[in-house]
Amino acid sequence: MADSATHVELRGISKRFGTTQAVDEANLVVERGSIHGLVGENGAGKSTIGKIISGVYSADSGSLLVNGQPESFRTPRQAFGAGITTIAQELSLLKDRSVADNVFCGVEASRLGFMSRRETKRRFAELTAGTGIRLDPAPKAGSLSVAEQQMVEILRAAARGAEFVIMDEPSARLSGTERDQLHRLLREMQGRGTTVLLISHFLQEVLDLSDTVTVMRDGRIVRTADACDETTDSLIEAMIGRQLSGNYPPKAMRTRSGQPQQTEPPALRVRGLRRPGLGARYVLDLDVFSGEIVGLAGLVGAGRTEFVRAVYGADPMAEGEIQISGKPLTKPFSRPLRRVLGGNLLRPTRAIRFGLGLIPESRRDQGLLPDRSLRENVSLPHLKHTTKAGIVFRRAERNLVVAAVDGAEVRGGGLETPVHLFSGGNQQKSLFARWMVTGLKVLIADEPTRGVDVGSKRSIYDLIASAAGRGLAVLIVSSELEELIGLCHRIVVMRDGQFVAEFTHPDLDEADILRQAFGGEPTPCPDGLKTSPQ
Amino acid sequence: MNATPFAALARYGIVWVTLALFLVLAITTDGFLTGPNLRNVLDQQATLLIAASVATLTMIAGGFDVSISAVAVAAPLVALRIENATGSVILALLAGCAFGLLVGAVNGSVVSFAKINSFITTLATSFIVFGIGFLVSDRSIMRPESEAYRDIARTRVAELTTATWISLGVVAIAWITLSATRFGRHVYATGGNIEAAKLAGIRTGRIIVLVFALSGLAAGLAGVVASSRSISATPSDDFSFVFGVIAAIVVGGTSIAGGNGAVWRTLLGALFIAFMVNGFNLHQIDPIWQRIIQGVVILVAVAADAWSRNRRA
Repeated sequence: MADSATHVELRGISKRFGTTQAVDEANLVVERGSIHGLVGENGAGKSTIGKIISGVYSADSGSLLVNGQPESFRTPRQAFGAGITTIAQELSLLKDRSVADNVFCGVEASRLGFMSRRETKRRFAELTAGTGIRLDPAPKAGSLSVAEQQMVEILRAAARGAEFVIMDEPSARLSGTERDQLHRLLREMQGRGTTVLLISHFLQEVLDLSDTVTVMRDGRIVRTADACDETTDSLIEAMIGRQLSGNYPPKAMRTRSGQPQQTEPPALRVRGLRRPGLGARYVLDLDVFSGEIVGLAGLVGAGRTEFVRAVYGADPMAEGEIQISGKPLTKPFSRPLRRVLGGNLLRPTRAIRFGLGLIPESRRDQGLLPDRSLRENVSLPHLKHTTKAGIVFRRAERNLVVAAVDGAEVRGGGLETPVHLFSGGNQQKSLFARWMVTGLKVLIADEPTRGVDVGSKRSIYDLIASAAGRGLAVLIVSSELEELIGLCHRIVVMRDGQFVAEFTHPDLDEADILRQAFGGEPTPCPDGLKTSPQ
Repeated sequence: MNATPFAALARYGIVWVTLALFLVLAITTDGFLTGPNLRNVLDQQATLLIAASVATLTMIAGGFDVSISAVAVAAPLVALRIENATGSVILALLAGCAFGLLVGAVNGSVVSFAKINSFITTLATSFIVFGIGFLVSDRSIMRPESEAYRDIARTRVAELTTATWISLGVVAIAWITLSATRFGRHVYATGGNIEAAKLAGIRTGRIIVLVFALSGLAAGLAGVVASSRSISATPSDDFSFVFGVIAAIVVGGTSIAGGNGAVWRTLLGALFIAFMVNGFNLHQIDPIWQRIIQGVVILVAVAADAWSRNRRA
């Protein structure tokens, strides 16, 4: 069996999460010793496939064959026993332990329970010689660069004799030279007979490395073909073609003149925004006008969430200026002071006072107080308006909340019902209710319909459209391109921490936008570009 | 979408069990339902209630203050040092409270700005504060010079001691602060989901500093009241006071995970434990068994909290 050409095979695999069909009747054959690329839009089901093969999820139906034998892994450990391992985008190293400890974690060289140092050393040398990875076994894993940490993960996989390695977005966080190194490593692994399933957003990278490429869309396998028969364009063509459901509110720009008020100062103006750390390579500018819905499109990890959080003051920004309707929101701190304060020019408190509202990416982790009532969750940022001498006036609070909850059509419970008892859609609407207050000028919604049923989706779209109709500037981050095309007057595409293109209604073409989001080839880290002139 | 009737019953569990215990003791013993006995129970619980009602805010904000013991030991020593030096009872009272406030503010600042776990922070400051207690007292028992010092806790007003009145006053203030003020809402938000609280514009760092400062202030007051009741203060490094405080909060049903709870719960939790101990004494049950049963009661309370949280996760 071991010499059979097929290493891993999926037959009719399906997996559903709640109302979402993540993977639908997928058939996939991965040849032994090949590098097999897996591409698709955000949420197409690539990572779910990887997790089914590696035992993180178990499929609802269909069968998984490894070396021709049907398997049903219930834990990653079981998949591991069959030689399958994953190197995830988010690395999972013990940061305070040494490189060698991490590599041999779980398969330690020991005698009667005591660690054998000499044996560990010998095996580490053997591994590095075998894989061509040069790493010092002593330093703590947390002190290494992302690329080096990835090598530790590869060594760890090799130490366990993994024959089938799933790499999920391995190059997303690497610089240009690091990427080249990774590519060499992947080829070496292949040369030693390891099979690699490469999940990546970087189409050119996939085409360069892979023998075979599979394209996914909406949980389905579109096609599997030889890499040399594909181009980045042909891959993008295969990814798109979702049915636009047409279930969106009309896109009337209901500002006074019917057009964006280009003569007025924009409701939101961002100039020269730069974040500290890795994502600080580019300086970002953006205007959103009153009554306009602007979408931020891009792949996961392109920096969209980081951008909106910096605008709201949730994350620090290194420099930049933000204006709300012409008034400066950022305080002009002097540079030394800024350095002392960790580059934080802005806090949410101030952003809210200026008329900015943020609906965060994760309502459970960043949005709601699950145990508290709907009333308390909605009024939380606005208690100042219902408080006299420190005491919250219940009637004023109630009036504010009733109007907001009606406006956002939150259903399924009363004002005093703890918010965790509402459905996902109504929880999301309660976050919209939070910002249904007078005086709001800019609404930022990060993944506004994530984990929401179809019915609630439509009413959230209506909420967004009517907010814009009332003269709000709306900025939406979404990984569902269809949703952005259906809702937005303008779509700005972000790639690798940078705004790369802008499309205006009615010229919102899915293929054009995706081409910009994928960018054809990975943009290497501009090594020559200094991050800051200071 | 409504909670089940059983969940509603469980939510007010502490009310029912306290009532039940009260009724059982009233029926089975002669001594329980008498004015002197109940007044005595209240007087004995006064210092615990002062500290626990305010510490409830700290716990709801997601913090854990174990320095309450150390402050309650050292604050009256500071107060008596001032009293011995100046002869002023008012100054002594103020000094004791100010000392607690200062320790609490330091605790809160370290927790909030250095982002150190609050249990560890307050454990460390506890040792420092116990040490200060030994320093200011010169390692010996301290007594007030004026007779007036005992009046802080022992004056009778309308049948109840001033210690009882002070504790009821502190409970009322803490209750109103938590349930009716903006600050109270921010306390719930900080403990319930600190990230969401920040994004809703709450300065969570300030909230944390404030709850620890208030908790220290209350512990200082509790210590001074205790020293007035016993007309003395002894330096020690005895941690037991805070355990009673935490037991009252937790038995009342305030979540140790933060974000949920109430001051009335702590009031009932403290009364429940006090009634239980009183009942054991009236029934002449061996004190060894009292401890064991108390431990079981606390475990049951914490398990109920964990159960209700897991059920909706």
